Amino acid sequence: MSDQEQFVMAEQADRGGAPAVYVVGVGMTQFGKQPDRTPEDLGREAVWAALQDAAIDPRKIEAAYCGHVYQGMAVGQRVMAQVGLAGIPVTNVENVCSSGATAIHGGYLAIRAGECDVVLALGVECLTGRFRGALAPEEGDFEALQGMTMPSIYAMRARRHMETYGTTAEQLARVSVKNKRNASLNPYAQFKKAVTLEEVMASRPIAEPLKLMECSPVSDGAAAVVLMSERAVRALAARKPTRLAAVALLSGTYEPGLTDMAFEPLTWRTAQVAYARAGVGPEDIGFAEVHDCFSSAEVLRVEGLGLVPRGEYPRFVEAGHADIGGKLPINPSGGLLGKGHPLGATGVAQVVELVRQLRGEAGPRQIDGAKAGLAHCRGGKAAGIEGAACTIAILTA
Amino acid sequence: MVVNAESSTWVPLLPGLLRQEDDGSVTLLGSRCEGCGTTYFPAMKICVRCLSPERMLSAPLSRRGTVYTFSVVRQSLPEFPTPYVLAYVDLPEGVRVLSQLADVSPEAAHIGMEVELVGAITRKGDADQPEVLGFRFRCVTGKGS
Ligand SMILES: [Zn+2]
Repeated sequence: MSDQEQFVMAEQADRGGAPAVYVVGVGMTQFGKQPDRTPEDLGREAVWAALQDAAIDPRKIEAAYCGHVYQGMAVGQRVMAQVGLAGIPVTNVENVCSSGATAIHGGYLAIRAGECDVVLALGVECLTGRFRGALAPEEGDFEALQGMTMPSIYAMRARRHMETYGTTAEQLARVSVKNKRNASLNPYAQFKKAVTLEEVMASRPIAEPLKLMECSPVSDGAAAVVLMSERAVRALAARKPTRLAAVALLSGTYEPGLTDMAFEPLTWRTAQVAYARAGVGPEDIGFAEVHDCFSSAEVLRVEGLGLVPRGEYPRFVEAGHADIGGKLPINPSGGLLGKGHPLGATGVAQVVELVRQLRGEAGPRQIDGAKAGLAHCRGGKAAGIEGAACTIAILTA
Repeated sequence: MVVNAESSTWVPLLPGLLRQEDDGSVTLLGSRCEGCGTTYFPAMKICVRCLSPERMLSAPLSRRGTVYTFSVVRQSLPEFPTPYVLAYVDLPEGVRVLSQLADVSPEAAHIGMEVELVGAITRKGDADQPEVLGFRFRCVTGKGS
C-alpha cells in the first residue's frame, strides 16, 4: 500500500463517537423506457414512496441530496417542490454513474457530522429522450477524440482478463444471463424476460468481445432513501431501520505507465475504506449489488472488492455461485444489465435493493439469511485516470 | 495516410499533441519528468509522481509500439465510421496510448501485435476551419495484417 493510500485509510477509518446512520425508508419508480415522464414526475414518485415507506411526516426531512448527470440545473429543488419540501437545503451532485451513491454519501456525512438527523437522498435520470445507443463521452477528452466508447473500454479490459486468466466469451455472457434472470423476478426492472446463453452470444456485437445483451440499456427512473441518525430512529420510532454501516467515496488516481487493465485499483482502494469504516471484511458480505454496466464490469468489480480471488469470478458465475441461492449472490435485483441504468438513480436503487433484501421484503428474489450487503458504483473515464468516482455502501441487518 | 507536407493549414487533434516532420511523418509529443523519469502522453505540466512542475521536458515518443489490448468497435458516435479497431498501444517510454489501428482487419488484430505510428487527417478542412491532424498505428510492414 502506498503512503497516499495509508493516508486515505487513516483519514477515513471509522471515527468513534459519530452518530450511527440508518436507512428507514426506500422507494423507487419502474426503471425502463419512459420518454413521456419528466425528472420532476419520476423524482416525486420515488421520494413519495420512500416517505410512505418510512411512515414519517415529510416535514421531518431536514436536507436533501440529489444525484443526476444530465437533468440540468436544480433538479433536486424541482423534485422537492413537487412533494412539499421546498425550502430545505438541497444539494445537487454529479459524479457520473456514482451520482446517486454520492448523494447518499452526502446525507451520510451530514448525519455523521451531527448537522442533521433526518436526510433524504435521491437519484433521478431521464435518458431515453436524450440518447440512443451509447452515451457520448466528454468532448475534448483525448481518448474520446480517438474513438473511445464506454463499451470499447470494457471490451478491451475483458480481452485482458481473457488473456491473463483464460476467461471465455461464454463465461462473460453468463453474467448477463444471471442478471436478466434476476431482473425477471423484479417488478421494477426494465427487462422482464430471462434470456439464454445462446441468445446473449447471438446478440449484435457492440465492441468485441461484448455483445448487445452484455451492455446496460438506456433507462429512465428514480429512486430515493430516507436516512436517520440513531437518535432520530428512537425519537421518531422508525419502524424498519437498516444500519448504513459505511459509505466510502474515492476518485481514480492518475496512473502514468503500463498498469494491469484486468484489475481495478479504484474499486480495491474504495473497498478498503468501506470495510474499515464498517468494521467488516469481504468474508462478512453475504450478497452485493455491483456496477455491472457491462458483463466484464461485474467481473472486475467483484474481484476488485476482494469477494472472489482475482481471475476466478467468471468460473464462479459459471458454477452458479453468484446466483440467488448460491454462495454469494451478485446483483439479485438484476443489476444494471437487467434492472436498467438511469445513471443518477442507479446508486440509490442499489441501496433500495439491499434494504429490501435485509428486511426480507425481496419476494421471489429473496436471499436467505444475509446479514450484510454491499453496494458498489463506479463511473466515468477520462484519459489518464482509471475511473472518475467510486462509491461503496455497506448495510447490515 | 501520408500527410501533405505542403499543407500549413492543419491543426493538431489537441494543442501540442504532435508535430509534423519535414518528410510529412508525425511525432507524438509527450512530457518527461527529469526528476523521476516518468513519461506522460498527452503531455502534463506537473509530474503527478513528484508533484514538481520545474523539471518537465517535452518528450518526442517512439514510433513503434505493441498492442496491449484491443476491441473491434461496431457501434460508435456518428463521427466515427464503424467498424474500426481500437487499441491501447504500449510504447518503449512506458506510455500507453489509445489509438485506432489503420489498415488492420478485425480478424488480424491481436495482443502483442507490433505497430508503428502514422499521421491521419481526422477531420477534413474547409473554408471555415483547418483540417485536423491526428494519428493511427498500423501493422509494422512485413509483419502481416
Ligand atoms: Zn516525476
